[in-house]
This record gives sequence, structure tokens and C-alpha cells, in this order.
Amino acid sequence: MNRKPALVVALVCAALLLAAAQLAPEFLSEIRPDRALRGPMDAFPFGTDTRGRPLLEYATQGAQVVALPAISAGILVGLFGVMGGLLRCAGSVRVNALIQWFAEIVGALPRMVVILVVALLLPRDQRSLFPLAWTWALLAAPGAMDEAASVAERLGGSRFVEALRAHGYSAGRIFLVHVVGYNLRPVVVRQGAETLMHVVFLEIALSYLALAENQPSFTHSDNLMSWADLLKLGYPSLIPSLGYDSGHALGLAVLLVGLVATMSIAIGRAARAR
Amino acid sequence: MTRWWIRPLVRLLAAALLPLVVPAVITGFIWSLPGDPASLICPPNLCGGTEALAERWNLDGGPWQFFTGWVGHAMGLEFGNSWRLHQGIPVLDLLLEAIPTTATLIALATGMVMAGAVAAARGWLPSRADPVLRFVGLIPALLLALAGAAFIELTYGFDSFSGDGRMARMMVGAMVLGLADGAFTGAVLGTRSTFSTENQARYVGIAVLRGERRIHNTLPNVSPALIGQMRARIIHLLSGAVVVEVVLRIDGIGDLLWGGTLRQDFGVVLAAATLFAAVSSLLLVAQAVLETVVALHVRRAPSNVRLAESP
Repeated sequence: MNRKPALVVALVCAALLLAAAQLAPEFLSEIRPDRALRGPMDAFPFGTDTRGRPLLEYATQGAQVVALPAISAGILVGLFGVMGGLLRCAGSVRVNALIQWFAEIVGALPRMVVILVVALLLPRDQRSLFPLAWTWALLAAPGAMDEAASVAERLGGSRFVEALRAHGYSAGRIFLVHVVGYNLRPVVVRQGAETLMHVVFLEIALSYLALAENQPSFTHSDNLMSWADLLKLGYPSLIPSLGYDSGHALGLAVLLVGLVATMSIAIGRAARAR
Repeated sequence: MTRWWIRPLVRLLAAALLPLVVPAVITGFIWSLPGDPASLICPPNLCGGTEALAERWNLDGGPWQFFTGWVGHAMGLEFGNSWRLHQGIPVLDLLLEAIPTTATLIALATGMVMAGAVAAARGWLPSRADPVLRFVGLIPALLLALAGAAFIELTYGFDSFSGDGRMARMMVGAMVLGLADGAFTGAVLGTRSTFSTENQARYVGIAVLRGERRIHNTLPNVSPALIGQMRARIIHLLSGAVVVEVVLRIDGIGDLLWGGTLRQDFGVVLAAATLFAAVSSLLLVAQAVLETVVALHVRRAPSNVRLAESP
């Protein structure tokens, strides 16, 4: 995929996600048992749930749950990556050793275990995806910093900065334009986009696991539906003997997951160097 | 790099600290959140008198007493009893029951990932398959696990928790764990890219002209990178085990950790999370040792080389 089409795809997907989050209703529509489990043809655009409520509301509420936390986590990882690359360009052995030590400790922790520990410690009335997303970003930071540092190393590190200084460039232009803008951008943007996608997947996984045990989710309040609810609703359709006609919910969940994955890949491609 | 020993040394230091980090962070969190730790862990409307609970859970003497007390007991494999998940049952018993299951699951998934890495290194997997691998690698563990769970239900029905069904759960779980979230894809593409970069080095071309095999020359040099990648992938598998075990109903440590988190059982979560950290710590030690061995090997002066005599 070339840069321009990738940029268009990324913008369209992002616009869809943000628009859905913006349009999400505070509560689901009222129950209408006569319209239960209607398919997309009978109840445009995505069909209904077991109580006759439109799945569009599930999709928009789910987008509202994930959109801002996932984007903020992506930006945070991108900033960590920029920091890693710039510190490598600064060329301090001591700082780089400290970063390696930080990366070893944080990178060695299984992410899901840390996320569950944070989820455990969140007070019940303050449950939200934000703290979990930021924790995930912190755990993803060592990888992003390491990759950005490798790019800076290949660039020449402190020698590259010295060479540009010799050309009379200002520090701002060297670091912001040449190091970050031209060289680190592809890596940090891709890392940020991947983290965005992983946070969305994390939310779906955590909410689904809680649903499977009939417990409230760690990531959102009880009045909101997550995309995991679509998976939970659609899963029985995989077992034909159950005779549960909810394949449209499963299809919508997969479509939404695909949308986020496409957005993440497109952002990464759009940020690639020419 | 002349100071080759710095990286392994940092890894060893990190490995020594890692098992202490988890209980330290949890302790720090408990005391940094507003309110009394005992009522935070179990709200008074659920548990009643929190003073008695604080005393029972060793929360009444401050964070340092709790941390040192817990670590001291953990050194002697005494993790106390489950607070809520399986109230009254020793956590050690729960762990001992779950460890073999998770170990088998992770071992099978690691075997699959390693097979992918070996196949990529030997060139058995053509790069034509990369788009398929990239697509499969994007699928989240939850989606693959649900497909796996449906397959088990369809194939084994009510017998899925006995004999063959249990074994099938384990195999499907390992396959899901190995494929999902880019584990297998990352192993194949990461190994292939490491070797293809190294193969472009001049010494490899000279070795080929001398009639030597590429892999014999490149392997020692790429080993540190490959070992690091493999450690990261095993940690990734440990992380994914939580989702796979819960969805496929495999009674392992991940399932225990999730149950403890849902029911706010600090006793179980502390022990299970520390166990995960300890495993990760062992992997760090293994990486440091292997890196040291490789570094010593590549720096060893060959003893059977004679300089060409001048005419």
C-alpha cells in the first residue's frame, strides 16, 4: 500500500471510530421482544440483540469505551519512542544503561499479569479503560524505545547530530525535524498504532472474560456495552446445534476488530518514509 | 563491543529484582490509594469488621511489615490461604494444582513457535507465505480462542472435560496461543529478517567462497538477538495464557489469576503474579547465561590456525 491510499484508509477508519464514539447513546434503547435477533436485512444496519435492541448501539457504545483510551495509549507509546531515539542521539552511556535496566525490568513482566494487578487495585467506582490503557502503554514503551534507539543508532547517533551541527542547524531543527520527523517517525507512529490496536483488543478480551463469568467489566460502567458483548452474543451461533441465530452479532464484532486492525496497519504504512 | 558483559550483568540484576517488584508494586498501590487498605481490599459492606481482617491479612502494621512479611513467607513457599476465590484453601495447593497444566500449555506453544523459528532459519518456509502469516498474526487471542472453544464443543460436546476432550483443549489452547497475536508470525519473520541481514555481511560471503555453510558462520553472531526474541515470545505466551485458559476452560495459573482478580482475592493474585515474575526472572537468567556463553565462544581465539609463511 502506498502512502496516500494508506493515509486515506487510516483517516476514514479513524473518522468512523471517533464518529461512532461521539454518536453513542448513554443508554440502550428500550426492550422490544418482538424484534429479537433480527438480521441486518430486517433491522438495518446491523440487526438486533436478543431483546430487540439495535446492535448499532452496541457498536457505538463499544467505540466510546475504547476510542480515547486507545488513542491516548498510542500517543504515549509514540512519545516514549521519541524519547528513546533522542536519548540515543544524546549519546550518554550512563543514560542508555539506565534505560536498558528500565527496559529489562518492565519488558520482562508478562503484560496481562500487570494489567490484571492494576485492574484488581482499581476501586470499583473508578473502573475505566484509561488506567489499563496507560499501563499497557508503559509496558509497551521499552520495545518502542529500543526500536527507536536502534534507528537512531543506525543513523549515527551523536555523530549524526554533530554533523548537522557542523552544518549550522539549530538544535530544534536537528532533533525535531531531522531526527524525529524524518527518521524516527515511521517507527514511533507504527509502534503507537500497534499499541492503539492492542488496547482495543485488550478491552475486548477483559470485557469478554468478565462477561463469561457474569461479572462487571474492569473497563467500563455497567450501562455501557463493549464490543465483547457482541462476541458473547454471537458466539453460540458457531455451534449450530444450539439453534441460536446470532451470527450477525459475531460478524459485526469481527468487522469492528478488522476495522481497528486495518486502521493500525494503515497508520503505520502512511507514516513510512518515502 | 568491548564491554560485552554489561548486558548480561544488567539482565542478572533485573532478574534478581523482578520477583520482588511485583509484591512491592502491589503493596505500594494498596497503601497509595485513598482509604484504609483492609476496607479497600474488602469493602466494609461486604466483609464487616475490617480491623479483624487487617490483622488476619497482616495489613495492620503498615506497608513495610506487609511487604517483608509476605516476601519472607513466600521464600518458604508459604503463601497463606485464598481470601475469596477458594476461601480457606492454601494458595500453594491451588498453585501446585495449576502449574503442570500451564507449564504443558506454554511448553507446547513454545515448541510451535520454536519450530517456526527453525523453519525460517533453514529456509523451509517460503516468503510467499508471509502475507498469510501476517494476516494470521493479526488475529487476537480471544477470537482464535473462541473459534477453538466452538470447535471443542462441536467435536466433543458433553465429553469435552474428560480424557480426550481435556487433551484436545490443551492442544487447541497451545495452537491458539502459538498462532494468536503474532507469536508464530513474529518468530518466523523475526528469525528470517535477522538471518537475511546477517547473510549480507562480508564475512558470510567469504565463508561461502571457502565452501563453508552460511548458518555455521552466522548462528553464533545472531544467537544473542534470537535468544532475546525467544525470551520475549515466551513472556508473550505467558501473558496470552490468561485469555486462552479462561476461554477454553483450562485450569491453569492464568485461569487462577483471572478468577482471583475478578473476586479481588489478593492472596491468590499476589502469589500467581509473583510466580509469573519468577518464571520471567528465570528466563532472564537463561538469556544472560546463553549470551555469556555465545560471547565467550565468538571471542575464543582458534588454536589450530597457522599464519601463512612468508616466501
